[in-house]
Amino acid sequence: MSLPSTPLRLAAAVVVLLLAILLPFVVTGGAAKNLVVLALLFAVVASNWDLTLGYAGIFNFAHVAFFGIAGYVSAIATIYFGLPVWLDIALAVAVVAVLAGVTAALALRLRGIYVALVTFAFVQLCVALIISQKWLTGGAVGLVGVPDLALFGHRLSPSGPDYLILAELLLIASTVFLRFLVRSDFGLSIVALRDNEAYAVARGISATRQRVLAMVASSLFTAAAGAVYAHYLIVASPDVFSFSLTTLILSMVLLGGGATIYGPIMAAIALTVVTEQLAGFGVVRFMIIAVLIVLTLRFLPGGLWSLGERLTVLRRNSKQGIGA
Amino acid sequence: MTNSDTILAVKGLGKSFGSLVAVDDVSFTIRRGEILGIAGPNGAGKTTLFNLLSRNPIVADRGHVIFDGQRIDRLSPHRIFRAGLARTFQKETAFFKLTVAENVRLGAVYGAGLRGAAANAAVNAALEMLELTPLKHQEAGALTVYGTKRLMIASAMVASPKLLLMDEPASGLNTIEQAELKTLILRLRDQGTSILLIEHILPLLFGVSERVMVMDFGRKLTEGSPAEIARDPRVIDAYLGGVNSESAHAA
Repeated sequence: MSLPSTPLRLAAAVVVLLLAILLPFVVTGGAAKNLVVLALLFAVVASNWDLTLGYAGIFNFAHVAFFGIAGYVSAIATIYFGLPVWLDIALAVAVVAVLAGVTAALALRLRGIYVALVTFAFVQLCVALIISQKWLTGGAVGLVGVPDLALFGHRLSPSGPDYLILAELLLIASTVFLRFLVRSDFGLSIVALRDNEAYAVARGISATRQRVLAMVASSLFTAAAGAVYAHYLIVASPDVFSFSLTTLILSMVLLGGGATIYGPIMAAIALTVVTEQLAGFGVVRFMIIAVLIVLTLRFLPGGLWSLGERLTVLRRNSKQGIGA
Repeated sequence: MTNSDTILAVKGLGKSFGSLVAVDDVSFTIRRGEILGIAGPNGAGKTTLFNLLSRNPIVADRGHVIFDGQRIDRLSPHRIFRAGLARTFQKETAFFKLTVAENVRLGAVYGAGLRGAAANAAVNAALEMLELTPLKHQEAGALTVYGTKRLMIASAMVASPKLLLMDEPASGLNTIEQAELKTLILRLRDQGTSILLIEHILPLLFGVSERVMVMDFGRKLTEGSPAEIARDPRVIDAYLGGVNSESAHAA
């Protein structure tokens, strides 16, 4: 995999960090800020989905449900049980991690498209439970009244830059975690299983254990994002389980480029912003976005991230051509 | 019956696919430090036998396998590798998007349970043994056929297996590479690894094996020294098609 050289990567990291510091000062308008917060949270969800879908090759359609379940755990814990904020996020992460492990252990006995079917059925089960258990979940309306987060007595205000900074920090922490994972022996093992399972197990890799771990790992920051999302919007809504949100996040992974981490983050931000910029086109905007996705994947099957890799190769080749 | 001198004892192993009996009541043993060759025409069940021994990707319907004193016919494939029974595949196989060193590292970390400096040392030793050190940072997909075959062996040897199952390692190699491979197989044996070798190139098979087992139609036809096998009329009939076996003697 061709990655930019270390100085270039360092420079990119500095630029991203500067942008992250500047962003809360630049984006101050209510609508724009809201858009950026959502884009950043969706970037967390998409890049974590990339761990299972892109790196591990698991067709896990329950990923966005983990995001939604975390919101409900947070909402129920704070509204009904008065759990202090932040602790509810930890609880949401723990509950979702266990659920992800159980789902993985059951689904990963199957292969390929059947994993997709089982995990999709899991999402439907979640929706049915949430709609039917109105006394606990608020039914189709959702559970309204999730309190704002607070830090050292300071309530995080949805109208100020607080949630934007929190979303940024979450994305940075999640990205560092994911990059650490995919560059570790664990990362190698899930890629090995994806590319040739028979050979991987013939070299001592436990397929079930590694895949379950991948699902659990990908659920951690997804759950944290889901809980923050519920606090930010003050509601845990069944809309999060909708097929359209799953499709949107999946588009981010595919458009950005699977098995890259950075690609889905880039695509999450681009798709959220572009969707909003095209708001004036009404429903036609979804058609425009769909065409853009089809064209991108037709000409860049590796996603937007592969464009950078292609340019790096072209530049290297042209340099060698000049040198020859 | 096994004793401490036996590394692998196979008893009554069988596998059927519907009405087709792919492996039929096969029994044999391998001694420690021995190379046992397996010969037989295409479709004789040789690779299926390897698949059954490693339980990857299929498992036996009947029979049992005792490896190094313990039954392994209920273990999962990754545990069989960890127990010390490694295999290579007939087709050139690697994790093609990973580097050569990363391919070997997986065997060290997940097969042998090594970490840190111990894993690095084992990887470097295996790369050195298979003469892959200069290529360690190269993507495995860029290797030659012989390079990929050596990588398969390196990623097995890094876990110091007690028994290595080699499935047609010489297929696709030129004569110089075949000669190198022969030396390599003998070196692995001399370092203490027992070897079960499937090979169609008889001069190589007969040249390295202490004993040869011949399979036909999923059954074990006979077993003996290479010289005995080359003279056996049943083998000539089934495998050599009645052709004079001088090429085998030449080995």
